[in-house]
Amino acid sequence: MEEAERTRIFMERINAGEKIEANDWMPDEYRNLLIKQIHMHGISEIMGAYPEKEWVPKAPSIRRKLALNAKVQDEIGHGQMLLRLAEDLSRPYGRGREELMDDVLDGRVKFHNVFHMEAPTWADAGVIGFLVDGGAIITQAMLLDSSYAPYARMLKRIVAEESFHMQHGEAVVLALAEGSQAQRDMLQGAINRWWEPMMFFFGPVQMGKGAQRMMEYKIRTKSNEELRQKFINRYVPRITSLGMTIPDPELRQDPETKEWHYSQPDWERYNEMVRLNSGPMSQARIAMRRYAHEGQRWVREAMIKASERQVSEHQPAI
Amino acid sequence: MQDMVGSEYPVFEVFVQKEPLGFHTNVGSLRAANPELALQMARETFFRRENAYDIWVVPQDCIFGTAHDEAHLPVSGFDKRYRLPGGYDNASHWKKFRAKAMTIEEVAEDIRS
Ligand SMILES: [Fe+2]
Ligand SMILES: [Fe+2]
Repeated sequence: MEEAERTRIFMERINAGEKIEANDWMPDEYRNLLIKQIHMHGISEIMGAYPEKEWVPKAPSIRRKLALNAKVQDEIGHGQMLLRLAEDLSRPYGRGREELMDDVLDGRVKFHNVFHMEAPTWADAGVIGFLVDGGAIITQAMLLDSSYAPYARMLKRIVAEESFHMQHGEAVVLALAEGSQAQRDMLQGAINRWWEPMMFFFGPVQMGKGAQRMMEYKIRTKSNEELRQKFINRYVPRITSLGMTIPDPELRQDPETKEWHYSQPDWERYNEMVRLNSGPMSQARIAMRRYAHEGQRWVREAMIKASERQVSEHQPAI
Repeated sequence: MQDMVGSEYPVFEVFVQKEPLGFHTNVGSLRAANPELALQMARETFFRRENAYDIWVVPQDCIFGTAHDEAHLPVSGFDKRYRLPGGYDNASHWKKFRAKAMTIEEVAEDIRS
């Protein structure tokens, strides 16, 4: 069959709402967009664990330590599950886990702007769960309807776990909001730090060509601006109900269209941070990833060697 | 694959995925001479009435399982509520601030509608 004819049939399937599986024929463009999206998503899950990991030993109670540690474990797990999908898609290019991980260290795959930032106080650890996970949940809820079935299936598991991240983040934020003036000030400080990065998080109003093509392929189903509006609409009342303010004097809702007007985040600054890994914490966190990936390579190699010897002796389990 | 004893076929475990966004679930096993015939047999044996979106057959000796005792399986004797959304009572706190608790189901529904 001709490539053009195959693509036409493929688009018919997409437009009919059919789901695509890993081994189905797909246009190279669809495959490449998926790899880019899922690779970045998986790597962002892993890099997203670092700002919170810093707070596990410093969390104020044993219960908070357990909960934060559980969340860090979840995020690393999400990264693993998503990287498996990216690996399956990358098979025709002969790229596996090692290469996909090396890409972070060599700056060939980007991760979300929010994970380049500092988390200087305990309130930041809470606000990350509250706003960053809150924003990620909005994006991931949209991806539950993705045309790529393995991605949509994996998102079902991930979103179920995010439910705990959301409640955990809110619990920390609520405790601070109910606390002393110093705690409330700390909370306000964290909200001030995270609001602008969250406005950037959803991407530009005018989406790039790749993002537009992802909409046409139904890999994603909502525009950047639709998602950002959903986020503002949900979180502004929650933040203000706590007696906190939002650090944006331009923020207001059009009483008729219900659209939110907001200040543009510093697009140039955050774009550069993501592109060049030049945020305040980018290099320190990549260094930790390098230690985990390269420093432990000898362990992986030794495990493979040892397993080769064992397999022949292993008895079937059932 | 399993050593064949005389003319005995090897065992395949059968996994079915009911719908595109579902997960493969083990439904039983069968014997067949090879994977192609195992797939054929799976259709005959398990799906005479039900429909399926996808079927896997896996040689049984390719499956490694845990031992069925507490040392090997995750058990819930230990309090793991802190890992679950239900382990947090945020609603009463939001109420104090005259705001409502929010669930992820609600958010997902709003985004997908
Ligand atoms: Fe996650
Ligand atoms: Fe999360």
